[in-house]
Amino acid sequence: MAAVAARGCGGVWRRAWQHGAGGPGPSPCGRRAAASSARGGAVPVGKSGLAPWVPVVGLEIHAQISSNSKLFSGSQVQFAAPPNSLVSFFDASLPGTLPVLNRRCVEAAVMTGLALNCSINKKSLFDRKHYFYADLPAGYQITQQRVPIAVNGSLSYSLCIDNKMSQMVTKTVRIKQIQLEQDSGKSLHDDTRSQTLVDLNRAGVGLMEVVMEPDMCCGEEAAAAVRELQLILQTLGSSQAVMAEGQLRVDANVSVHHPGEPYGVRTEVKNINSIRFLAKAVDYEIQRQIEELENGGTILNETRAFDSKLGCTVPMRDKEGKQDYRFMPEPNLPPLILYDAKSLPANMNHQQVINIDWIHERLPDLPSVTRAKLVERYGILPEHSFALLNEDGLTEFFENVVKQTQMKPKKVIGWILNVLLSYLKQHSLTVKESPVSSVLMADLLNLLEKKEISSTAAKQVMAIKAGNLKVLNKLIGLVQRETQGRSNPVLVKQLLEKKLSE
Amino acid sequence: MKAAASLADLDTFAELGSVGSGQPLGVLDGIPIAVKDNFNTAGIETTCASNMLKGYISPYNATVVQKLLDQGAVLLGKTNLDEFAMGSGSTDGVFGPVRNPWSYSRQYKEKYVPKSFSEDGESNWVITGGSSGGSAAAVSSFTCFAALGSDTGGSTRNPAAHCGVVGLKPTYGLISRHGLIPLVNSMDVPGILTRCVDDAAVVLGSLAGHDPKDSTTIQDNFKPFELPDLPDVSKLSIGIPKEYQAPGLSSEILALWSKAADLFKHAGAKVTEVSLPHTRYSIVCYHVLCTAEVASNMARFDGLEYGHRSDMNKSTESMYAATRREGFNDVVRGRILSGNYFLLKQNYENYFIKAQKVRRLIANDFLKVFRSGVDILLTPTTLSDAVPYIEFLKEDNRTRSAQDDILTQAANMAGLPAINVPAALSERGLPIGLQFIGRSFQEKQLLTVAKWFEKQVKFPMIQLEEVKRHNHDVFQHQRSASFS
Amino acid sequence: MAGHRCIELVPQAVTVEVLDHLEQLALVDFRDAEGVERLRKAIQFADQLHEVNTDGVEPMDSVLEDRCLYLREDDVTEGNCANELLKNAREKVEEYFVAPPGNIPLPKLEERETFLKGS
Repeated sequence: MAAVAARGCGGVWRRAWQHGAGGPGPSPCGRRAAASSARGGAVPVGKSGLAPWVPVVGLEIHAQISSNSKLFSGSQVQFAAPPNSLVSFFDASLPGTLPVLNRRCVEAAVMTGLALNCSINKKSLFDRKHYFYADLPAGYQITQQRVPIAVNGSLSYSLCIDNKMSQMVTKTVRIKQIQLEQDSGKSLHDDTRSQTLVDLNRAGVGLMEVVMEPDMCCGEEAAAAVRELQLILQTLGSSQAVMAEGQLRVDANVSVHHPGEPYGVRTEVKNINSIRFLAKAVDYEIQRQIEELENGGTILNETRAFDSKLGCTVPMRDKEGKQDYRFMPEPNLPPLILYDAKSLPANMNHQQVINIDWIHERLPDLPSVTRAKLVERYGILPEHSFALLNEDGLTEFFENVVKQTQMKPKKVIGWILNVLLSYLKQHSLTVKESPVSSVLMADLLNLLEKKEISSTAAKQVMAIKAGNLKVLNKLIGLVQRETQGRSNPVLVKQLLEKKLSE
Repeated sequence: MKAAASLADLDTFAELGSVGSGQPLGVLDGIPIAVKDNFNTAGIETTCASNMLKGYISPYNATVVQKLLDQGAVLLGKTNLDEFAMGSGSTDGVFGPVRNPWSYSRQYKEKYVPKSFSEDGESNWVITGGSSGGSAAAVSSFTCFAALGSDTGGSTRNPAAHCGVVGLKPTYGLISRHGLIPLVNSMDVPGILTRCVDDAAVVLGSLAGHDPKDSTTIQDNFKPFELPDLPDVSKLSIGIPKEYQAPGLSSEILALWSKAADLFKHAGAKVTEVSLPHTRYSIVCYHVLCTAEVASNMARFDGLEYGHRSDMNKSTESMYAATRREGFNDVVRGRILSGNYFLLKQNYENYFIKAQKVRRLIANDFLKVFRSGVDILLTPTTLSDAVPYIEFLKEDNRTRSAQDDILTQAANMAGLPAINVPAALSERGLPIGLQFIGRSFQEKQLLTVAKWFEKQVKFPMIQLEEVKRHNHDVFQHQRSASFS
Repeated sequence: MAGHRCIELVPQAVTVEVLDHLEQLALVDFRDAEGVERLRKAIQFADQLHEVNTDGVEPMDSVLEDRCLYLREDDVTEGNCANELLKNAREKVEEYFVAPPGNIPLPKLEERETFLKGS
């Protein structure tokens, strides 16, 4: 159900305020203007009274493919390992070695392409992109510049307006293409000894580069789109997509222009390593460009890095626009041919055939479908379904609790989202690490339904489970009070402890 | 000076071959072979005759080397070449030029007339052709039974022609390139040099077939074949491409070519003149595609992981630049620079894509001819017999390559199998070969025709014994020309 | 084919800027006037291609364009050979390859040791 691609979000920006005296760029504080644009209409009125600005944001996302071995070699893919232990002769570019394509990586890209409503190219091609860098041993990266594996897709994502869960809007960003390519190794710059240490463990790991068209207009939209993509990748299993481990890397292309005028000169913002920073980096860059232009300056077509400590973007040293990648077809890889049920050749070794229809039929429910099902099955609100999917394992937890309790799902969801989740957050625990099991939660809610305990008591149990054992004694007191002193405090303690350790 | 860039010591031979172990390993058991020094050999230096790879010990065997060893072949040594196989003389490598064993043959000595009185025997020696000159010299001087060469634009067939041996360039995709240090990936094929066509068929049978390490080898099964003892060519259609009467083709080769056509005619074959209209542009197209791939393939040589590394330590880029300045010869550097020029964004369409389009026209020319019913094309392999080294030096590498590859590279552009068969001795007592070009993956037919032709022409054997008796010094040269 | 039309293409002069750009991209220098002349001749030679009419002709990457690409199963079969690899590296620290400091572009033409400076 690909929605019609919306171009831009309709958000119009004005410079919200004058920045403090002196500084050449905007101060890192107070980039609130960003959030407002998601409303798609009202914007803070600029003091300058100048024509409004339309920001344009496109994204290039690199997702590491979740596979046992690399894209073109049989060396292992693993996050942490001794330096250069996951390197084959090909990865080290030894002369005479050749690339051999990993079937799993192709399947992951096809799955991702289908999930993003792309057309899958039955014939795609590999190219070499040349540049010299210490962690690129061959002097070129194998990528898909001319004909990528998937093109022309779309991604629908939702975000809430003014941080109000009740006001969600759904937007669509067009996916230009998905291409398969090699990851580079890692360079560790040791400035004190003036040397670079090179570890090629990551060199040659399969990447999917997902190119999103400039259909977004603020940091929040970019963040929401990337979050939805992340959920999709994780649902498919095509990438683990953990940003902190570099499995998902986002570069943002940002420009601003006046309505009705052509797009402005864009900058590319790199070094963004969390979704939160993505929103900040994009908003900072939009604001910086607006201020630069309003002060009579110009925007350079440059690469900038986001400094998460300072909350701003800074120019990166680059090749003064002189880079020319000298693309060339990769002569060692004939075209990658994919089949569908119609074109499937009868006499071919099935291990050598990738059938797009076969993959399509086996796609798991995507987050949007899962959400719709949750809403329908349990009668919960759409925003609750978003909250459930937003935490890994929370949907399963919710469904397990619902199965074991008489309480209505609509009420259960409140307990899970408002009580359990906030306790877990307080203690920095994930759902999978939750000391409150779904069984305990169900028992508590059952007791609550039968009015055998109060909601305060139930909350206390969860709080204890979440780490605050001091509450145990308080809880015994509560039970005593509920039972009007008729219970045996020792027995109550034993029972509670038993329940809590479940 | 040397044909061989390095020589495995005797202990290594014993390990590599099955010498003395009793059980034969395969059809090549105990057979001495030589391997061009651009194939990786585990534990034995692989240099590409370049400073860039001097001392480089590969940790793995090229698939073709492994297959030879698995069949029991004994690796006699690595043979000399032009640096990174870029050349047509085997003169442009860091170990110096390869001398053609025929320079020291009775046949050449008897017919060679010094141009001036001052010329001594030392300056008469002729080149082997290239770039697999070391391998051709090793086979031609009876140093080994067979040798591996590589063939990108004629690098196996050209020296085979000049050294009077059989040089087979199989169909692209039939033999693994894994472990062959590439020149032009889309055209390189391991070549086979032997003294007769039957031997080439045996070696081909040991090497051909799909290699999971080379995605450009075809997945169809390959069945090794034996050639019939009495080949019949009467039902064949032989095409004579008129465009191969190229400017500069020597009159004696032209005469030999037409004599060969007559032989087929008399044997009952249908011989017709055919046209490959884009032949003229083939070498130009080859030049652009070759330099572009060279620019790309040579990018890995930066001194960081292996090979020569400059002492320059200011920055990664300056170290790379210095390493590449010190490690590559002028020819290699020149091709890298022109290849990069053709790949520049502003030149890509005009040169690289244009050349790729012309490549299709060239491949289509062959397709049309074969579709019209022609089975095999008969052409000369080279424009002339081998020239003396001192003559060869007068032109630069690119000009020479353009002349020397002119009749051979089109088969690489189209991926077709082609073979040089020694046909006769020239007026100067040097070998002349003719080339047969077949349909893709029709090696059996190609070799059958080649064998029939070989039987008709009875190419004379090189006579080196005479030299040995009369001139010990020269024999030393001949020896060193094969492996030292 | 338009081989007989004999178009006289004047080879575009290769400017010092282009030569400098090439040196920086290829990390190979021209060394001397002969090196520059070699490039000029290579371009001139290549310009003959423009005599060929290629209208409507698809570029050809490979003679195997109609065959489908071989696919490997996703098994770990290689790696764990750091020592073997590092044996061929001239400089290493522990299990790392070592490069000089990075992110420093080649000096500009004026500051670089190149033949082009004089041209």
